[in-house]
Amino acid sequence: MRIIHFLFRKYTIPTFIILLLLSALILISLRAQERKGITFLDGLFMEVCAPFQKGATSLTKKIQGIWEGYLFLVHLRRENESLKKRIADLQKENDQMREMMLAQERLRRLLQFKETLPSTVVAAEVIGRDPSSWFKSVTINKGERDGIQKGMAVISPEGVIGQIFKTAPSYAVVLLLTDYNCAIDAIVQRTRAKAIVEGRGNNRCQLKYLLRSEDVVEGDRVVTSGLAGNFPKGLMIGQINKVDKQGHGIFQSAELVTSVDVTRLEEVLIITASSPSSQPITEEKGKKVKKRMN
Amino acid sequence: MESSVRRTVVLLCIGILFLTLQTTWLTFPYVQNVRPDLLLLLTLFLGLFSSTLSGGLLAFLLGYLMDLFSGNGVGFFALSRPLLFYGTQLFKDRLFLESFSSRSLFVFLLALGEGIFFLLLSNLFRAGSSSNPVPPFFKVFIPQCLSTALLSSFFFFLLRKGITRLETQPRTGMGRKR
Repeated sequence: MRIIHFLFRKYTIPTFIILLLLSALILISLRAQERKGITFLDGLFMEVCAPFQKGATSLTKKIQGIWEGYLFLVHLRRENESLKKRIADLQKENDQMREMMLAQERLRRLLQFKETLPSTVVAAEVIGRDPSSWFKSVTINKGERDGIQKGMAVISPEGVIGQIFKTAPSYAVVLLLTDYNCAIDAIVQRTRAKAIVEGRGNNRCQLKYLLRSEDVVEGDRVVTSGLAGNFPKGLMIGQINKVDKQGHGIFQSAELVTSVDVTRLEEVLIITASSPSSQPITEEKGKKVKKRMN
Repeated sequence: MESSVRRTVVLLCIGILFLTLQTTWLTFPYVQNVRPDLLLLLTLFLGLFSSTLSGGLLAFLLGYLMDLFSGNGVGFFALSRPLLFYGTQLFKDRLFLESFSSRSLFVFLLALGEGIFFLLLSNLFRAGSSSNPVPPFFKVFIPQCLSTALLSSFFFFLLRKGITRLETQPRTGMGRKR
């Protein structure tokens, strides 16, 4: 004991170092042997120290959060703006693509319909509408240079649109079938009753000169008769939604809704020439095929 | 003389612009029923603030342009617009048209008058036919007359300001010294 005391007093630091090293060696040896005591000691120290560690880590994270959340906000804002711009660009691109897809679909249907027609047709785009509410017409981007002439039939895959009313070298005005001045020779598809379709404004027409004795009901489809010369036979005009048998006289009248929504026209087809062999389309085609088969 | 020609050309260009607007942007299905008649407003503006000769000529040209782009084969507008122009000229000194309400009422009555004139003419040309080319009266025609009337003060103010600015602008150009 005296020796230790002497060594501590004379060689304090070296003795301390040696003791420390010895303790370390002892600890290593104890851990190697997996003594229970050491695990308890380790656990105790860990329990004491861990809360500090936890606190420190949490503080670090908070500082880091503040740094990233607030001090880096400038960059974040910029990044946000740039991302928003990117989203807007992509949205615009998406809208354009969707619009192109829809236009392509419309044109594809128009082309398919064009191929089924026995006549020569010219496709045109609607570029303007009637400046007044008194008349129903549209301006198209095809005119005399494209072979368009007054009176030619204007159609779409859904049915009749109207007829050419005025022409210029590169443009033409189409009088819509809903105009009060437009009249088309028609027949009721089910009963073959003859009548004249006259315009009545917004997507509405009236069936006139329809004999009272004719059987006509709501839902009957009205098609072109092909007698007027401009329109091929069998083109859909509209569907009857009201029959009026009241009043006197030999005629009854009916109201019909047009098959084409003329307020939303974008592309149209103009029948420029009917081929000599042109036969009634749609409904007549079936009959022709049957005849040939027989 | 040169100033009056310039003014006429500018007003014609405005007329073409209004016609384009009226046949394109203002034809969307929901706007269509209440769209104001911009060309009617321009015609009335001409009647109030233009000379009898150049204004009358412009009113005719605007009516003619409307006839060109509408499904009207007779040429109603080429007739009705100069009539409206001269009607306005006739009444402009006899009526107080400086307030918003009086001006709006004046425009509303003239728009309505043009409509009635149209009905009479169309009945004349469609003698024997039972149908009348009258747009649904309360649903389309009256709202249009009203929207035209309500916008009149704003448009007159804009047009007047534009024309005044044009006339007070210093003339510069090729071959002309300041």
